[in-house]
Amino acid sequence: MRCVNRKRSVAGATLLFLLTWSVGAMSAEGPSPKSTRLPRAYEGAPPLIPHDVEARKGVCLACHATGENGAPITPHPTRTHFCLQCHVGQDLTVQPFVKKRTN
Amino acid sequence: MGLNRRDFLKASVAAGAAMAVGMDRLVPLHAQAEPAVDKWAKAPCRFCGVGCGVLVGVRKGKVEAIRGDPECPVNRGLLCIKGYSLPKIMYGPDRYTVPLLRQREKFVEISWDRALDLMASKFKEAIQKHGPESVGVYFSGQSTVFEGYAINKLMKGGIGTNNVDGNPRLCMASAVAGFYSSFGMDEPMGCYDDLDLADSYFMWGSNFAEAHPVLYSRMVERKHQDPNVKIVSLQTFTNRSSDEPADIAVVFKPNTDLAIANAMAHVIVKEGLVNQEFVTKHVAFKKGIEKPHYGVNDADEYGGQAPSWANYKPFADKGQTITFDEYKAFLETYTPEYVAELSGVPADTIRQIARLFGDPKRKAVSVWTMGFNQHVRGTWINNLAYNIHLLTGKIAEPGNSPFSLTGQPSACGTTRETGALSHLLPGGHFVANPEHRKKAAEIWKVPVERISPKPGYHTVEMFRALDRGDIKVLWINTTNPFQTLPNAGRYRKGARKGGDRFVIVSEVYPSETSRLADLILPSAMWVEKEGMFGNSERRTQHWAQMVKPPGQAKDDLWQIVELAKRVGHRQLFDYGKVPLQKGLFEEYRQFGLGKGKDLAPYEVYARVRGGLRWPVVDGQETRWRYREGFDPYVKKGERVRFYGNADGRAVIWARPYEPPAESPDQEYPFWLTTGRVLEHWHTGTMTRRVLELHRAWPAAPVWLNPEDAKSLAVQTGDRMRVASRRGEIIARAEVGGRNTPPKGTVFVPFFDENVLINLVTLDAFDPISKQPDFKKSAVRVTKVSA
Repeated sequence: MRCVNRKRSVAGATLLFLLTWSVGAMSAEGPSPKSTRLPRAYEGAPPLIPHDVEARKGVCLACHATGENGAPITPHPTRTHFCLQCHVGQDLTVQPFVKKRTN
Repeated sequence: MGLNRRDFLKASVAAGAAMAVGMDRLVPLHAQAEPAVDKWAKAPCRFCGVGCGVLVGVRKGKVEAIRGDPECPVNRGLLCIKGYSLPKIMYGPDRYTVPLLRQREKFVEISWDRALDLMASKFKEAIQKHGPESVGVYFSGQSTVFEGYAINKLMKGGIGTNNVDGNPRLCMASAVAGFYSSFGMDEPMGCYDDLDLADSYFMWGSNFAEAHPVLYSRMVERKHQDPNVKIVSLQTFTNRSSDEPADIAVVFKPNTDLAIANAMAHVIVKEGLVNQEFVTKHVAFKKGIEKPHYGVNDADEYGGQAPSWANYKPFADKGQTITFDEYKAFLETYTPEYVAELSGVPADTIRQIARLFGDPKRKAVSVWTMGFNQHVRGTWINNLAYNIHLLTGKIAEPGNSPFSLTGQPSACGTTRETGALSHLLPGGHFVANPEHRKKAAEIWKVPVERISPKPGYHTVEMFRALDRGDIKVLWINTTNPFQTLPNAGRYRKGARKGGDRFVIVSEVYPSETSRLADLILPSAMWVEKEGMFGNSERRTQHWAQMVKPPGQAKDDLWQIVELAKRVGHRQLFDYGKVPLQKGLFEEYRQFGLGKGKDLAPYEVYARVRGGLRWPVVDGQETRWRYREGFDPYVKKGERVRFYGNADGRAVIWARPYEPPAESPDQEYPFWLTTGRVLEHWHTGTMTRRVLELHRAWPAAPVWLNPEDAKSLAVQTGDRMRVASRRGEIIARAEVGGRNTPPKGTVFVPFFDENVLINLVTLDAFDPISKQPDFKKSAVRVTKVSA
């Protein structure tokens, strides 16, 4: 197996940068002046969406193309029509899933 | 075709400008720094059949970060949210770390030695008392190539039973039967490159956008580059794959895809869109047995007799050669007007789609998955998709490709290629073929009589045999059948009927299957062990072990070998000083060399980022099979040769429309269809333990049409009961959002163990492929009053 050292993965880092965008000020109902940025799963993981997604399907770029209403601007504006492949909404009231052990 | 330089520059400038404007809201530079890891190593993603390459960041013995591998041609650095969530799948707090034995209603911890001795004694006792057909194994399209090959060798070449089946029977069997009947060989002729090269795309009953996101985005990017590209989405309910940028999105009635495909062929023939030269040189015509059974009666696979191993005679299709004129006469029935009535798709739309397909100036790619495969006539509908490509000659060349997508990371590489299904031997060989048995016996160095010529129980019959007590000992590994089998309630009860039954489950987390086990073996997963996966496009990828499994959890390959040692077949896995994985792989390669399934040596896969697509001949992978200049098996001057069939011709099948096994009626007036959401993988045992994915979809809802919601007086969030003749579930209603079923249809995903939708589904199956139809059950839908 070939280990991939840091120098080798410059392309990866560049791509990661392009995939990376911050989450700014949005609330469940709509834009809000206060930031509700959610923590990422780990450094380099795609930002999570802090507002409802299902009801706003197909309109991500209405705000995220230009920063309308204080929304973070996508660093990869050509990747349209599949935003929700990497960025997903969150129900913060949900607790971690653990199955009741059978023993 | 393709992105011209000016467009590219414009896009780049726009991207740059957007970044400059938004810089204050972009991530601060320190956050873009690389995660602190000790090393990065290559692996394929653990989830779907796309087979994205990932770089795994390991720090202090733990997986901490993931990146899409920019050097992997599958995904070129991109992943979906499941892939980005890989670092968390191994670290749920409820991992199994020690073997557990059932004692009445409780499980107690036992040692590995005791667990393996017990398992072996159960196997030996059943074989001695009831014969080798009383034991079985049910493995997985998520098992590694090594594991699939090893379990197949142990069972078929050692114990002498073909009762080896796997969950690809629930997901890919119709694709396999479709490939064999149309081309005489399994797996696609084209590859993912076709997604960058076509002009017209046809998605058939497949929520491509959610189930294969990275490939879907590849198609969408092609559309962004060239406005001439057209996308057609044919679905049974409106979903993300029906949304923009699809140009034509239709919703058809369940099972009428058979009629629509024939209507497309009808239009192509009537309007002179047939590639006459291609058809004359490379195509043969056949018809098969019509009105076969639906598998709903227990006697169906036993010639109408009482089910028993002695009476087990699984249905087999018989092809009969017909002429092109006879095929044309068969198509006469399928006028767009007739099919419009059956399917609900307007006749003009059917014509428009057929003309778009047939346009000789446009290259065409069709993609499909479970809508076709989980279908009571699944083999037929796979055949019918190939018919359209064969009639127009749009096949086996760059950009012209019928493409059967796989659901699991190694349904192809493991289950199909190592032959870990009840009728197969490795490398495209069959148990029923005496020459194939002879070859397998020679490679395995076992007496040829050891390999039974009779196919073993396929999945549904295996669990029916466990239910009636003919299977005594069953080892379930890397899969969760008591959540995923159709009509699961029957098979869940069957597993716990007692008597001589003994169910062993190798798992990583508590699941609906492990809770019904007698013995639970804690397994290592993904990069906790060495492995190889084979994806949808014939690509084989290798990874090395990177971290240690928790507690006493062990590699499934180790478990197979330890069982072999205890049942007297140690020698099957003795490769002297050669490491076990390499020994197994080099032996397995012998099955395919020179047979069109050539794999490269073990070391090559260990080294190459992104893997290689077989056949690999003289170190070169093959992107398009059956085509001169691309496939080393096609000689100079032949141009095209479908060498899986002796006459070198692919088969166009006359397959009629037939209705589903069950349709809505007065008592159960709704259609139920089941499937996936992007955020969860299969039964959620891994993805639900990732907080971000769990919070994205914490529970499976019931998607309803807004009109039905209105007449039932329900809103999103209300509790609904979905009941069939088999069982029922209660879940929250969801109206709108990503899915909108047509009136009279509900859609329920199967990932949620608290919403066991397979208690409701019907266990009908395609008689040729033996794959169940999870997409068409009749149900009653009611509001549950608070």
